[in-house]
Amino acid sequence: MRYRSQAVAYWYFAVAMVLFGLQLVFGLLSAAKYLGPDPLLYILPFDVTKVIHTNLLIVWVLTGFMGATYWMVPDESRTELHSVKLAYIQLGLWVVMGVTAIIGYLFRWGTGNKLLEQPLPHKIVIVIVMLMFLYNVGMTIKKSGRFTTTEGVLLLGIGSAAVLYLPALLHYENYTVSIFYRWWTIHLWVEGVWEMIQGGFLAYLLIRLSGADREVMEKWLYVIVGLVFFAGILGTAHHYYWVGVPQYWLPIGGFFSALEPLALVGMAMYAYGAMRRSGLAHPNTLALHWTLGSAVFTLFGAGLLGLAHTWPSVNKWTHGTLITAMHGHAAFYGAYAMIVLAMISYALPSMTHHRREQGTAIGYWAFWLQLAGMFGMTLSFATAGIGQVYLERILGLGYLDTQLKIQVHFVMLIATASLFTVGVALFIWDFFRYAPRFEVTTEVDPDMRMDAPPIPEAPRLA
Amino acid sequence: MNKRQSRVFAIACTGIAALAFLILTLDSHRQFGKLTNAENITPAVTAGKDVWHDNNCINCHTLFGEGAYYAPDLTKITQLRGEQYLHAYMRDPARFYNEQTHRRLMPKQDLSDEDIANLIAFLDWVSKVDNQGWPPRPILVTGASIPGTDLTTSQQAHPTQQESAGLPPGARTVTQGDDPIALGQALFRSVAPACNACHSTAPRVNLAGPTLAGIAARSEQLVGSAEYKGSAKDALGYIRESILSPSAHIIPGPMYSANGQSFMPNTYEQNLTTEQIDQLVAFLATLK
Ligand code: HEM
Ligand code: HEM
Ligand SMILES: [Fe+2]
Repeated sequence: MRYRSQAVAYWYFAVAMVLFGLQLVFGLLSAAKYLGPDPLLYILPFDVTKVIHTNLLIVWVLTGFMGATYWMVPDESRTELHSVKLAYIQLGLWVVMGVTAIIGYLFRWGTGNKLLEQPLPHKIVIVIVMLMFLYNVGMTIKKSGRFTTTEGVLLLGIGSAAVLYLPALLHYENYTVSIFYRWWTIHLWVEGVWEMIQGGFLAYLLIRLSGADREVMEKWLYVIVGLVFFAGILGTAHHYYWVGVPQYWLPIGGFFSALEPLALVGMAMYAYGAMRRSGLAHPNTLALHWTLGSAVFTLFGAGLLGLAHTWPSVNKWTHGTLITAMHGHAAFYGAYAMIVLAMISYALPSMTHHRREQGTAIGYWAFWLQLAGMFGMTLSFATAGIGQVYLERILGLGYLDTQLKIQVHFVMLIATASLFTVGVALFIWDFFRYAPRFEVTTEVDPDMRMDAPPIPEAPRLA
Repeated sequence: MNKRQSRVFAIACTGIAALAFLILTLDSHRQFGKLTNAENITPAVTAGKDVWHDNNCINCHTLFGEGAYYAPDLTKITQLRGEQYLHAYMRDPARFYNEQTHRRLMPKQDLSDEDIANLIAFLDWVSKVDNQGWPPRPILVTGASIPGTDLTTSQQAHPTQQESAGLPPGARTVTQGDDPIALGQALFRSVAPACNACHSTAPRVNLAGPTLAGIAARSEQLVGSAEYKGSAKDALGYIRESILSPSAHIIPGPMYSANGQSFMPNTYEQNLTTEQIDQLVAFLATLK
């Protein structure tokens, strides 16, 4: 920790850890209901456990993004945060929002709109929290006068995420129109602005861990952002195939979304290239595992498995089956869970006592168990989904009959998810078992090393 | 390429794609009304949409293929199931499915009759939206488009007297307390010879006999038309007549009849009780 105010990140990470653990409890409950019968049918039915599962995911990942940003910005701008107090108020408000939303879901208080179930008051609080956050970070950078490209990409990503949430606050009379705009939030988040956020963290981590040349890294970061949006914006149409919108979205969605993996290939090459050229400049090899792991697993879960069902003539058969759940899990985990875990793993040794800088043995177990578990879950959803597509969609067997025939894959899902959960439990245990320590140390900033090239293009703000 | 050029690349890519996307969005708005039959969004449809949202239906079911994967897609449900069926089902799903055999059951929702009627109006509006012909084949809740594919071959070879033995794992054993429609649905696959050996209930799937999807509406039309040869006065009467004396009116086609005699067995009149026939008619009349 080079700056005292970076300590706020610890508390954001701690909240994220707790919510991550809870998310899995509700995931396992949902998966158990696939097998049935359900003793909780009238207490905690599937729709409730599933809403809580996905909402906790969104809340903890965003908490992680905010914590990681509060950690990264002082490093990049070489200054203390503008207001530590504001950062804590923001966290408090955010937690209250999250907890009351989850309690509300238990009583079916929600909008009943997939992934945007937050009631209107909660949505407004979310926007307010985002504004507080952007203000705090913006003022920090302004005060420091040092604004790096990496920070710029990250902030633009977070700012746009807030803007793209706004269509979700509106009411639409026509169900098809409401679907149309739902994807402005969901798709343009995960296949647009959140990838900028991931890209920003990735660049930061690679520069710190590998000592790669900042100029080169930031140049390629721009290229990746360009590719993300070139394909991702029109790629939204891969959600417009069968919902009652004009026919021309079919070829547009197919073509542009098929280009989306390009940016992800770019990101993986970027990470790999940085390591190869510059080697290791930092002892934290565990953080390095998470960083490279995120780039590679994104390529697999989002790139490959997204591509697998994005073409209209394939999606016609797979749309709305467990194939979607297969892709959703692998993509979300690789891109957004793993990048947050990478930032946590990087920051943690300097925020706690006695932690080995290279990462602990438990930390490695957590990494490999999660990877194996998530890979197994992806395969379970995939095999279940393929069975479902053939039996239900092609052969015309009834939905319920089909679900009975693919039970074995649900057993596999629960088994691999349990493995995954052990990995996550170890990560959480490893996080909390050392007491936090908030002392400012004098680590060497890679940009300030003697052999590092000067930074010509960090524009000074007024 | 230097850093400045790569920044220009990023901005240009984003700008061009965003502009194209906005133009297409505007054009889509021009077409939404026609594609979705917006003039048919009546207050009942809107109220039904609210019932759909309030009960969190989307987090078990899919609509237009979007939602959760725990329960069947409902995009075209009103084209497969009639209003009476849906009404009875939503009043109490447990009277149609059994949690022990299906391992899943829809929990009974707290819905008034008006809520249900609105919900059906909403789902009916959904089913008529022009969505590029999706799904490409009908998505059934239970049973099979191709009869028998839900049975094992040994079940098909030895349909025993024991009531549940000839049933696929996805079908429940019914009890007399169940809804007559549910009883009729069970009879459809359990009478001897089983109706579903020759008839599918999926649209456009014609087997040894014609599909029975849409039979209610078709009977209505047929009975009123000049080509009708039988003696029934209304749709229900026609369905009953088709079961009891299949040759009273012949559906044209060499695969269905020869010399004015239908290929359908004429043994049901003797083998089934009046009550059973009533139940079968009640079920068939819900196949819209
Ligand atoms: C990190 C990036 C990504 C994440 C986190 C992600 C996540 C998801 C999620 C959660 C869904 C389900 C959404 C819903 O039904 O509400 C989904 C759907 C979909 N994704 Fe992605 N995705 C990513 C990237 C991609 C890419 C790159 C492609 C294509 C190459 C793609 C193709 C699709 C398609 C076609 C669907 C619709 C599936 C259906 O028909 O139901 N995704 N994605
Ligand atoms: C213990 C581990 C987990 C289990 C057992 C589990 C199980 C499930 C189940 C049963 C569903 C409902 C699918 C449906 O709609 O029918 C679901 C949805 C979802 N889960 Fe998980 N999950 C787990 C972990 C995760 C993790 C770690 C992530 C992301 C990092 C995640 C992301 C999602 C997403 C995005 C959806 C919505 C998918 C869609 O609608 O297509 N889950 N999960
Ligand atoms: Fe998408």
